[in-house]
Amino acid sequence: MFSPRTLRNLRKELRQSALAKIGIVVVVVVVLVAIFAPLLAPHNPTNQTLDDSQLPPLGFSKTTTETSSEIVNGSVEVVNETVTVSAKPKYPLGTDALGRDMLSRVIYGARTSLLVGLFGTVIAATVGVAVGLVAGYYGGKVDDALMRSADIMLAFPSLVLAVALVGLFGRAVVRLPDPLVQAGIAPNMPETFALPGTVIIVVGLVNWVWFARVARGEALSINGEEYVKAARSVGADDGFIIRKHVLPNSVTPILVLATIQIAAIILLESALSFLGFSGTSLSWGFDIAQGRDYLSSSWWISTVPGLAIVLTVIGINLVGDWLRDALDPGIEGEGGGV
Amino acid sequence: MSMGRFLLKRSVQGVFVVWGVVTAVFALRYVTPGNPITFVAPLDAGQELREQIARELGLNRPFYVQYFDYLVSLLQGDMGYSYIQGIEASKLIFARLPATVELAVAASVVAVVLSIPLGVVSATRRHEPADYAATSFSLVGISTPNFWLGIMLVLVLSVQFGLFPTSRRGIGLAPAIGMLVTQFDFSGLVNWLAHITLPAITLGTYFTALITRLTRSGMLDELGKPYVRASRAKGLPETLVRYKHALRNTLIPVITVLGLQLGTLIGGAVITEAVFAWPGLGTLLIDAINARDWPLIQGSLIVIGTGFVLINIFVDALYAYINPQVVH
Repeated sequence: MFSPRTLRNLRKELRQSALAKIGIVVVVVVVLVAIFAPLLAPHNPTNQTLDDSQLPPLGFSKTTTETSSEIVNGSVEVVNETVTVSAKPKYPLGTDALGRDMLSRVIYGARTSLLVGLFGTVIAATVGVAVGLVAGYYGGKVDDALMRSADIMLAFPSLVLAVALVGLFGRAVVRLPDPLVQAGIAPNMPETFALPGTVIIVVGLVNWVWFARVARGEALSINGEEYVKAARSVGADDGFIIRKHVLPNSVTPILVLATIQIAAIILLESALSFLGFSGTSLSWGFDIAQGRDYLSSSWWISTVPGLAIVLTVIGINLVGDWLRDALDPGIEGEGGGV
Repeated sequence: MSMGRFLLKRSVQGVFVVWGVVTAVFALRYVTPGNPITFVAPLDAGQELREQIARELGLNRPFYVQYFDYLVSLLQGDMGYSYIQGIEASKLIFARLPATVELAVAASVVAVVLSIPLGVVSATRRHEPADYAATSFSLVGISTPNFWLGIMLVLVLSVQFGLFPTSRRGIGLAPAIGMLVTQFDFSGLVNWLAHITLPAITLGTYFTALITRLTRSGMLDELGKPYVRASRAKGLPETLVRYKHALRNTLIPVITVLGLQLGTLIGGAVITEAVFAWPGLGTLLIDAINARDWPLIQGSLIVIGTGFVLINIFVDALYAYINPQVVH
């Protein structure tokens, strides 16, 4: 897939850039956390322990005022008592309003984010590259028709379109059995993992245009090359030329774009979950939304999952920068964020 | 091709895109599951009542009649009546539009004012502390979900320090200016500023970060080009070389990407509104979707899509002005 020169550029850029190394480490850690979530999570992320609700993370404590009324000498007196709640070592990142462990929820949230990011990008890339290659290769009326439909897509901000589509088509969820739990290694963990199906399809479908633009540009530039003309003159059919010549030459920019898109889609997923358009409750965006009601008493419920998103997306963006600098595909700022 | 013809051509294309937008939005009702009548009718409504409601809403007619009727009404500015509130959808939408525009413009101002100087400083002082600070800021900025940033700003600046209101729009810009002009009273303007500051930072940060990144890399590219060396060699002042020549050429790709990213700005406005209970189009649309209030859903989507097409034509014109080559 890559020429030796490309690989050499990748290695050289990696040696020179500390940021690229940091990015790769972060991405690898997040991927491992997502895969081995049932083994790494200290608690079942959905278990509610109401006695342990709103506990602060280690190193923090919180003071609350408990108001109670007592009857003293026949009259009601209101007693304000200041209570200090301290962290418990079994909940390193604290607990949410229902006493669920924040660390376990953040660990499981990585699964949702990465799976949506990955599957969403695959859908976007497949649709976009197919449309873009066909448009760029055939040109003329085909190109006009496809690109005008892309214009209509682009007239809607992706978040607006995603909210409308998920809201109107319903929040379907696919329950996948968790292989690690099935194997009996992690007995106390949820047996199935809820994959937000509508969200995956929608985030893929609202982002295909970016891939179409890049693939079309590549196809247009390759179309005039001698070897494509030669292939055509010896009678190769269009499908063969697109697959054997045009597609392989578009791989580099598409790969760079895909990396940026994973980050953009993770942000989009978190926004959809935050707005309540997701279907799964094990998601960083969902937890941020939950924590909003407790901002004044328990700041960590919203803060912790947000930090997880920022860290993950920074990691992916650093990898994207590395690929872009090493491969120099000439795309910049395509994609979009939230 | 002259500038005028270029704009005319783009406008004609724009009309077709808007028509496509309207058609797509109209089609949405037919491809999404769920009968709108289910959401409008009482739970225990019998067949007869449901049919009566369908007749009243015009939903019993063939879809092409409904489509044609919708197009004709739309051209007259009529988007139908909200199923839930019974008020004209266009009235509800245009009552909310100024709040969203105000927010988006405020965020853009924040972004442009901060980012271009940041990017220029970053590029001209490469590998100095200012550069590292600017690049770190822009990396974190493009990686932070804006709704979370908004919540963190509220947590620190509103909940802890009580500096800003946590939500809502306050008095709004136009009445605030009115107060200033008629009564020489600044309190309206202060109220407006207090309410819009956090939402504008929330929405503007991603763009500040993005434009900083683009300006920096563009400036670095330009400053390494032969014409810059030639200008320096013939003794032009450094400020002229940097700001007149290099920056101007840098802005061309920056504007292209900004044009592409305007959708992100409007999408970001939707979620920023949700964080701050900002009474704009975004919160209106989300409520309409949850209630399946179709005239309101269609109207808001069409206004957002059309607005976006118009802004894009404006960006193209700006682009053609800076880089006259595209017109030819």
